[in-house]
This record gives sequence, C-alpha cells and structure tokens, in this order.
Amino acid sequence: MDMRAVLIALLVLAPLIGAVLCTFLRTQAVRSAIVLATGAILVVSAAFLVPLTPFKLSLASVFGLDLHRIVQVADFILLLIILYYGFKHRHLAIIALGLFQVAMLVTLEFFLVSGPTVYERVNCDQLSLMMVLIISIVGSIICYQAIPYMREHEHHYQVAPSRQPRFFFVMLLFLGAMNGLVLFNDLTVIYFFFEVTTLCSFLLIGHDRTTIATQNALRALWMNSAGGAAFILGILAVYRETGTLELQNILLPGLAGSGIYLLALALLCVAAFIKSAQFPFQSWLLGAMVAPTPVSALLHSSTMVKVGIYLVLRLAPGFAGTFLSQSVAVFGAFSFLAGAALAVGQSNGKKVLAYSTISNLGLIFACAGINTAESMIAAMLLLMFHAVIKALLFLSVGAIEQRIASRDIEDMRGLYAVMPVTALITVTGVVMMIMPPFGVLLSKWMAMEAAARNLYVIIMIALASALTVMYWARWAGTLMSDPFAGRFRPERQPVLTWLALGPLCAGGAALSVFAPWLYMGLIQPVLSGSYTASYILKAGVLENAYGAFAILPMCAVALLGLVVAVVALKRAFKSRIVPAYMSGLQTGQPFFFQGPMNQPVKAEARNYYLDSIFGEKRLTDWVNLGGGILLTLILGGAL
Amino acid sequence: MTRTAILIACGLIAGPILGGLVSGMDRILTARMQSRIGPPLLQPFYDVAKLLFKESLVVNVWQVFCAYCYIAASSIALVLFFLQSDLLLILFVQAVGAVMLVVGALSSTSPYSHIGAHRELLQILSYEPLLVLVVVGFYLETGSFKLTSIYAWREPLLLKLPFLFIVLGYVLTIKLRKSPFDLSTCHHAHQELVKGLLTDYSGPFLALTEIAHWFEVILLLGICSLFWATNWFGMAILLVATYFLEVLVDNITSRMNWRWMLSYVWGVGLTLSLVNLIWLHQG
Repeated sequence: MDMRAVLIALLVLAPLIGAVLCTFLRTQAVRSAIVLATGAILVVSAAFLVPLTPFKLSLASVFGLDLHRIVQVADFILLLIILYYGFKHRHLAIIALGLFQVAMLVTLEFFLVSGPTVYERVNCDQLSLMMVLIISIVGSIICYQAIPYMREHEHHYQVAPSRQPRFFFVMLLFLGAMNGLVLFNDLTVIYFFFEVTTLCSFLLIGHDRTTIATQNALRALWMNSAGGAAFILGILAVYRETGTLELQNILLPGLAGSGIYLLALALLCVAAFIKSAQFPFQSWLLGAMVAPTPVSALLHSSTMVKVGIYLVLRLAPGFAGTFLSQSVAVFGAFSFLAGAALAVGQSNGKKVLAYSTISNLGLIFACAGINTAESMIAAMLLLMFHAVIKALLFLSVGAIEQRIASRDIEDMRGLYAVMPVTALITVTGVVMMIMPPFGVLLSKWMAMEAAARNLYVIIMIALASALTVMYWARWAGTLMSDPFAGRFRPERQPVLTWLALGPLCAGGAALSVFAPWLYMGLIQPVLSGSYTASYILKAGVLENAYGAFAILPMCAVALLGLVVAVVALKRAFKSRIVPAYMSGLQTGQPFFFQGPMNQPVKAEARNYYLDSIFGEKRLTDWVNLGGGILLTLILGGAL
Repeated sequence: MTRTAILIACGLIAGPILGGLVSGMDRILTARMQSRIGPPLLQPFYDVAKLLFKESLVVNVWQVFCAYCYIAASSIALVLFFLQSDLLLILFVQAVGAVMLVVGALSSTSPYSHIGAHRELLQILSYEPLLVLVVVGFYLETGSFKLTSIYAWREPLLLKLPFLFIVLGYVLTIKLRKSPFDLSTCHHAHQELVKGLLTDYSGPFLALTEIAHWFEVILLLGICSLFWATNWFGMAILLVATYFLEVLVDNITSRMNWRWMLSYVWGVGLTLSLVNLIWLHQG
C-alpha cells in the first residue's frame, strides 16, 4: 500500500478511532492513554509526511468503497444531526440554514454534477503540511493538557457521572476533521469537514450544559451554519463557472474577469470570515469563552479559526489584482484595528486573548488581500507563530484560572509571588507576541513593509499595532507587579501541564530562530507557482530590494542583552530591598501607607482600561456596522 | 568587518556623550528662557555619575531586569541606526526599550509608578503609529526602508515630506518628555506624580534609565537628520532649529491630560500624515 495514503488515513482516521474508543472505554487511566497515544500517532505521522511533501493522490476509494459516495452519505447525516439540534432547541435560524444547505447539496450532487469531477482528491503541498504540523502538534499538546485540566474541572464542579468521554470524543474528532480539511483537494470533502468543525465547536462550547453555555453554543452553530450556507453556495457558483470541484483547478488564471466567478470566491471568503470570527461575526468566538479553557485554546490556535485563514490563503491567487482582493485587505486591516481597540478595553484575560485572536487573524486576512509574495509570506509566518503562542497563552491562563479562581487581569496582580513559573511563562508568551526578535513581530514587520503602498491599510495597521503593544505590556507588567517574595520557589502543577506549557514556550522561541529556514522550506515552494518570491537568505538575514530582516543577528544580540539583564537580576537579589514609595509614609507592608491616627491605609491603583473610549458598550455597535459595510463592499464589489 | 566594528563603537560612544551634551545644553537654554543662569554644560554627566555610585535599593528585582533591558534595547537601536539597518527594525527595537521601562514601573507596588506607567503607555500609543507613518513616508519617496538607500537619496527629503516632519516634531516632543506631553514623568520639579514612571527606579538603575533616554534622544535626532541628509550644514541647521523649538514649546505650554494628548496628537498627526502620504502616493 502507498505510504502516503497510509499517512493520510492515519492523520484523519486515527483521531476518529481514538474518539470512538474514548466513548466506550470509560475509565480515566485508559482514556488518558488513548489520548496520549492518539496525539503521538498524529505527531509521528505528521513528521513522516515532511519528506514526502508535495504530492497528489487520486484516492478514489477507501477499503473498496467509493470515497465520493461515503462523503455524500456522511454529509447528509451531518446536516441531519445539525437539524436535529435545531429542532431540539427550536432555533429557527439553525433549522432554516440547515434546510437551505440540504437543498443546495441535493442540487449540487444530483442535478448539477454529472460524471467525475475530481481526479486528484488529495493535494498535500507545503501549506497543507504546515497546517497539518500545527494541528497535529499544537492540537495534541492542548489535548494532553486537557487531561489534568478536565479532571480538576469536573472535581471542582462536581460533575457526575463524568462527561469527559464525550469531551475527548469531540476534541479528537476535531483534530481529525481539521487534518482532513487541509489535506483534501475535493471541495465537497472540504465542505464536509468544514461542517464537522462547526458541529464539533457547537458540542464543545455547550459542554458544561449551563444556560449560558447552551445559548452561546447555539449562537456559534447558527453563525457557522450561515458560513456553511455561504460555502455551499460558493461551491455551486464555482462549479457552474469552472466545471470542476478541485480546489487547485478553480484557481486557474484568466477566470478572474468573470463576475460570477469572483462572487463565488467572495462567498467562500465570507464563509472563511465567519469561521475566523471576523467583525461582525465575532460574538460566537467571544461566547466560546464559557467552555473549559482547553476548548478555547483549541478553537483559537490550531483549529476552527485557522480554517478561515487556510481557505483565504488558498483562494488568494484566484482573486489577485481584483477589487475583491483590495476590499479583503481593507476588511482585514479593519478587523486588526477594531480587535486591538476592543482588547484594550478589557480586563478579562480570556477576552483580551479572544480579541487579540480576532485582531491577529484580521492582519493575516489583510496580508492575503494585499496579495503579493511579501504579504503572503508574512501571512503564513504569522499563522504559524500565532498558533503556537496563542495556545501557550490560553493554556497558561487556564492554569492560572484554576489556581486563583479568576480570569480577571486585576486579580493576576503579583501572580509572580504565587505561581512564579507559570507567570514567567505567560510573560514570555506576551513578550513573544510583541517584541523582536520573535516571530509574531517579524511577520508584523514584513506585513507593514508589504502594506506600505496601500495607504488605508498601512494607517490601520500602524494604529492597531500600537494598541496591541498597549494591552500586552499592561498585562505583562501586572503579572510581575509584586511585593518582594524572597526566594524563587516553583509551584506544583500536574506533569502534563508542564509538558504542555514548556514545549509551547520553547517551541515559540525556537521557531523564531528558525524562521529563515521555515521560509525557505515551507513558504517559498507554496508561493513559487503564483507569485515571484523575492527574499534572499544570506547569513541569517532575509533581504529584498527594500527591506532587510536581520533575523539571526537580532536573535544573537537579543540573547546577549538577555544574558546581561539576567546577570543583573541575579545581582539585584543581593541589594537592599525596600518598600515602594508612598510619599514617605511607608509602613513596611507593601500597598499600605500610614494614614491618619497612625492607621495603615491601603493604596490602590488599577490598570487603565479606558472604558470610555475602548469599552465594548461603546465600540461594539460601531465596529459591527463597519464590518457589515465592508462585507457588503466585498460581496457587492465582486459582482 | 573593521568598518562594522567602528560603527558599532561609534554608536555606543556617541549615544551617551552626545545625549548628555544635548541634555546639558537643553538645561542651559531652558534656564536662560526662565532668566536663570543654569547649571554647567556637563551637569548631566555629574548627576549620572553620582547616581551610579549610590547604594542600590530595589523595590522589586524585576525592575532591575527591566532597566537593563531598556538600556540594552535603546543602545542596540542606536547602533542599528549607525549600521544603516532597516528603519522599521530600529523602531521596533526602540519600542522594546520603551515597553520594558513601563513593565519595570508596573512591577512596583507604588501608585505613583503605576499611574506614570499607564500614562507612558498612552504616550507610546500616541506617538508609535505616527513614527511608523513617517517611515512609510520615507519608503514612498525613496522606495526603501533601508537607511543606506535613504542616505543615497539626492534631494533633501524635507522638501517632499514637510508635513511628516511636523508629525515627527510631535513625536519628538512626546519622546523628549516636554510640555504639553510630559505626563508620565518630567525633567522639571513640578510633577503631581512625584517622578511618575521613574519614582521607584533609584540609584544606579535610575542612572541606567537616564543613559538609555540619551540613546533614545540621539536616535530620534538621527531620524530628524534624515530629512536633510544631503549636506552637513543643512542637517545641523535643521537639528538646532528643531531642538530650539522643542525647548521653546516646553517653556511656553503647560501640561495637558492624556485624553487631550491622544485625540490631539492622533487627530493632527494622522491628518498631516495622510495629506503628505496621499501627495506622495499620487506624485
């Protein structure tokens, strides 16, 4: 049997098998073993895929059954399940959108399509490989950390009987569906996996079964069903125009002139924006916070929202140079700005992370819309770095929340005294989001240079990146704000939590160092077909005609600076420790000064959240309006 | 290779020496405007030397880490400028220093430091986008972000980017901690926040932040000098005039609050940048 087919089967089906096993073998130890084994299989398979990429496979049948037929049946079953939930909760929008999708699918499968439409069902190029690596490695790490997290979670909420079998069933299924989505070339198969991720996120968000959880899960379901409807409509239109359902072949040059073709791509883009929770569809992702933290980590980093990014990156060459491309760029930059502004107004740590996800995804969309080699490179680098670091930050906040029973940034004041290692890891994560020489900043820098000729986009990017610095710096400072705690005593955490946080933190830093080679190995080959890639790698410096990205020299200098600062830090422990300045009325206790009648009075200072400017109440309606107008522009302009 | 080493050494030496001298002249000029005689030119060096040999008192050890990161980042930024690197990279490295100073202030428990730190963040928020847009202006005119190409440009950039130079003036006023933007901390002894953001930095660590600030000032004056990089004479006149104006503005305006700063600087700065950028874009 073909090695490549086996790997594809492992990447898609192993999580499914693991998921099914989780539901039947209901003991904690066995379940943990299954999750660990599935994760290991995924990571190893993804690693074996590296030397084989790129390749295409026809993969007409699986175990003697026609693959197309299997997917067809599964598609209808899936829509029926979604309809079932719609009827169960009497949710009109879900029912209507479900029925619409069934009708469209019937039209497509039974009336429109005649004869074979797909010859190469699997297309694994470097972009797919990058996605598979992110999904398999980051996704597995998140599932690992979910094992101790969910044990604690159920203990805390006294859930009996345990609902963990169902939880891990969905988590693993999600990973398999994601791998399928990025590996297949057949639009109907992609649509199937697209819907699976919708269903999985619905089940995960509603996992805790509280009223608010159910409500938010339903919101996620109807919004993403709208995305599914846009997707299937897009497929129909694409097929009418091109006569093919192969993702690679619908992007042939020369088609961009036709109105319907662009409208089809615009519909697919809208489906992608909904998946990626861009404004005005952000509410489903914000609502997803009610789920246990590993779910947020999974949705925000390696799955779900990355579906939208993947689709638009795939489609971008198809609309290069059109008005659609420009409006996608403006829409993305707007999301970047609006997400950053809303994040500034939040004191809830998870909400800050959520808005920062929306904001960063906006920047990636903006890069895809700018649609040059440089901007696409920036988009792919950001996709990768964001996945790793956002997973790290979510898992850290999850660990912190289980310890201090709050997710508010104000309550994390002085966290270094309580959980020094987790606090340090979180601060490192924050630093990796905003500072050179780390990858997120590198990609932001590339994005700025690529966007410099597009005035609206560059102005929004400039404002947004300043706002981004503001909310991250505030958080990092708050974590380290601390009355002197004496010796450094690492806190105790489950081994699997350390095994999740440690590698993600180290991986984020290591990837930044290896960014030049990631570019040469993974990104340049993807772009070589449609764009003229322009960077030359010389002594760790990526250089083109107008910019020089001195990656390795910067890493070396930053390391030197860090060493000096750490040596200074060690020496500082020997200095005389004094209480902070309180107008000369210090009491010796931190935070307290000597008030009237010699009574100690607590001095308090909260962070600035600038609620009157950046608060949700003030901004959300305007931002939704702006997003709505830009979406209309995208759809209308495509006509 | 030797050239690189010489340039690195130049950056490392020029920062503190020129920065200290600029600061000394600033003090004399300010004193004369206020009908005082003022300190000797080398007073800033005496001050810093005195601080360096004081006992080190620490409120939180991370503040020391942050002070070292601040001086490391600002000196690296200036060295990169001397090495004629990518301008955006220089801005980002400079921003690391500014952010680390804030993080250090936040790591203390004093309310004065905290409020100062948040005001400093708002100052960063005000000037950072404008600085990026100034650099975008350089790119639109010269076609490159690299300083080598900007220095190779034949005409003075001021003629094509006059509004962006005014925008840079706003940035410079904020960065130099001059009125009306001296919200987070101030050189003069009339701060309602004691020493604001710097309240809990003391002794040698306060000296480090002062030297780091000198590096930053020289870097910003360097960016100003790019507007007239074709001959030394023009560059000198531009820099002296600009700095004189900064001191003048400092002495004739009073401190405003952050709301005013944010709306005014973004309003005026973005409008001027947009006008100038559109003009370049169409031209």
